[in-house]
Amino acid sequence: MKKKTEALQATNVHKSYGLVKANDGIDLQIFSGTIHALVGENGAGKSTLMRIFQGIEKPDLGEVFVDNEAVNFTNPKQALKMGIGMVHQEFMMAPDLSLLENLILGEEPLQNNLGVFSRINWTQARVEGDELAKNIGVSIDWERKANSTPVHILQFVEIIRLLRRGCRIIILDEPTAVLAPPQVEELFNLLRKLSKSGTTIIFISHKINEVVAVADYVSVMRRGKISFSNTIDNTSISEIAFHIVGDNEKKTNNLKGGDRNIGDILLEINDLSSNTINKSQELSAISLQLHSGQILGVAGVSGNGQIELLECVIGLRGASAGSINLKDQNITQLGVFDRRRLGISYVSSDRANEGLSLSSSIEDNIIAGSHRDSPISNGHTLNKRIMRATAVERLDRLSVKYGNLNETASSLSGGNQQKLVFAREISNDPSVLVVSQPTRGVDLNGIKAIHDIIIDFASNGGAVLITSEELEELQKLSDEIIVISNGKLVGRVDGQNSDIKEIGRMMVVQGGGNA
Amino acid sequence: MLSSYAQKGIGFALPLIVAFLLSGVLLVIIGENPVKIYSMLVDESFGSSRRIAATLSASTPLLFTAVATAICFRSGAFNVGVEGAFLIGGLGAVFCGFFLPVQLGLSIIPIAIIFAGILGGIWLYFPGYLLAKFEVDEVVSTLMLNFIAIAITGYLINGPLLSPTSGNNVTPVIHDVAKLPRLMPPSTLHGGFILGLISVLIYGLWCNRSSSGFESALIGLNQRFSRAVGISVQKTLILVMVLSGIIGGIGGASHGLGQLYRFSDGFSPGYGFTGMAVALLARNSPIGIIAGSILFGALASAGTTIQLFSDIPLDLINIIQGTVMIFAVIEIARLSLRKKIRAEL
Repeated sequence: MKKKTEALQATNVHKSYGLVKANDGIDLQIFSGTIHALVGENGAGKSTLMRIFQGIEKPDLGEVFVDNEAVNFTNPKQALKMGIGMVHQEFMMAPDLSLLENLILGEEPLQNNLGVFSRINWTQARVEGDELAKNIGVSIDWERKANSTPVHILQFVEIIRLLRRGCRIIILDEPTAVLAPPQVEELFNLLRKLSKSGTTIIFISHKINEVVAVADYVSVMRRGKISFSNTIDNTSISEIAFHIVGDNEKKTNNLKGGDRNIGDILLEINDLSSNTINKSQELSAISLQLHSGQILGVAGVSGNGQIELLECVIGLRGASAGSINLKDQNITQLGVFDRRRLGISYVSSDRANEGLSLSSSIEDNIIAGSHRDSPISNGHTLNKRIMRATAVERLDRLSVKYGNLNETASSLSGGNQQKLVFAREISNDPSVLVVSQPTRGVDLNGIKAIHDIIIDFASNGGAVLITSEELEELQKLSDEIIVISNGKLVGRVDGQNSDIKEIGRMMVVQGGGNA
Repeated sequence: MLSSYAQKGIGFALPLIVAFLLSGVLLVIIGENPVKIYSMLVDESFGSSRRIAATLSASTPLLFTAVATAICFRSGAFNVGVEGAFLIGGLGAVFCGFFLPVQLGLSIIPIAIIFAGILGGIWLYFPGYLLAKFEVDEVVSTLMLNFIAIAITGYLINGPLLSPTSGNNVTPVIHDVAKLPRLMPPSTLHGGFILGLISVLIYGLWCNRSSSGFESALIGLNQRFSRAVGISVQKTLILVMVLSGIIGGIGGASHGLGQLYRFSDGFSPGYGFTGMAVALLARNSPIGIIAGSILFGALASAGTTIQLFSDIPLDLINIIQGTVMIFAVIEIARLSLRKKIRAEL
């Protein structure tokens, strides 16, 4: 593995979206003919880096080299020409076309070159497809329609399509997320074969077991930086896990620890299970209790069921078994509206699509949910004057900075958007606040303000169920942290005195990646 | 940054200007002077109180169908079935108008209007239910229902409801007491116009001052958000479809009781679809709906007379209407595209 040439290289790559530094000085070397795993939580900057490699985004600063030659992609076509291609999580297939048609779509072999009157050379297409499939050791029924083909075969076709286009560097975005274990093994064999024949592979994954099983190199991204990079032979699962969750372990941040009165049980979940819908993680038999004044953190590698658990509590997702009780009232069968009435509030992790309606006015965003409550409404008609006054009062309460109530919510900065969400969600004095990714895409000052809001809420007797991909954040805020893996509750640790390493081990090793 | 009123005004005027320019080119090609024709159009639609009355009369059904369409469009439901509700409601009202005993007197009018509203509401309840519960595409279901409405009304007026005195395809004439009063005789401008304005007013109040209007605007912009704040997207979708049907049905009643006094084949020359163009052009705003309805009414009323006095065929008016609609839709598509792009970032 020594004396390799660099197929792809990034030096000091920066890319910001507004105040958020998605890539903050990335240095990365990918050696030719290797499988290079890239791991890190959502929002660590992996996608941005990949978009830069593919020519979809331009870096603010820094350079990308392909075969030691500086490139300056302005569009994805150029990247494809240089041999860089990506297999996305959502396959780019025309579902009603056959696999062969999908293979050549966009670059058809022609029998004669007559412009729009050209005819496709299907024989040649077939020969090319068979040849490439044979080279990577798979057999494909080319006549099959894409929508009736198993997902792992579609993945092979995606890879073959890139090879046919002359790609030498193939990026795979969480390729195993959609696969069953035997198929994962099949994919790995294919990747190994590809890399032996000289193709370079960038393998993005959350599952460390898989990374160790297939990759030659691993790089960990965290907060827009490469926080760790090594050969697989010289590292270990626990070392990788440790770097994913954060390297500064013993920070004394016992600011607010233990000075809250933990009171009665407000929310009780018993053996809650929920089925998979659209690739979501299923939950199995989760039980927990949430007390007044308590902040309960939910930790886990993303996609292991944290979001699903919170959605079950607010009522966006149905339970298949078990029960949820709010102050001795069984709310398992109630919808979102009733649960909110009874005192549960929800801060979504997807602020842009679920936490806010970005194209609606600031006023509508802060009032939504209370638009049937007195005194804003008598149940049917709105009192515009009170509505406006309430909006101002709520925004001021958390000092949200805004220009005009009629402007759209998208005009606010990320931090103020999130404060708006909190302002709305705590406005009706709920007893339970369900929070997901409270500070994603929020700048440092915003983070502090939002942490204060959460802590204040608990200090005033509220109960908080919170999940975050920032383990330090969970550790700082939570009285207790539960760890979820594969939809199961696998561990429980004390909040402030917890050891991040221990949490990381529970997150990834137990039950772990191997679905 | 322009004020939102100015922006709305431009959004309203731009498709019109482009459409008139394009039609002008067309006029030049067929050897007419566009300036002359356009001034004739203005003259024929607003030149005298009689012409104005004719224009308002032609705009009356559009007020209803545009409101009915806008109710759904602003909630993100692309309901194209107002035409069907208009027909069903129209026949229902006309039926009340000739079938109920004449002794009921003036009370026939409200009974007929309410009956038409109920029929229209039930009519669009079905596609609303299918959309909300099973995600059946509302464009397909409402479009198909239009054909069913044409077929049902066509059957009824050829069978059970056929007038015993006339030939075919027409119901008996309604009682005199069931007729809506004419506002400016001898023009056909009738009480339905006032009803139409009231519908627009109620629609405006519903949009801005009611909790369900608030909810329906939110689900039109972001369904996931709406769900997360506790709004029932399903219930709201059904509600707006039913409301749309009610208004569409009342529109049919107004047309039957005020304009035609009977139901015949071709009761609606596509009022549902012209109303859709008005709603698009107006971006669902109440004031825009009034302006748009009057504009399209003017085109329709002037078009027929222009055909009499010049070589310009009525088809040209249809071309102008069609072009306005296309450009109004382009603007909408551009806006939603921009929204989508922003959402992806």
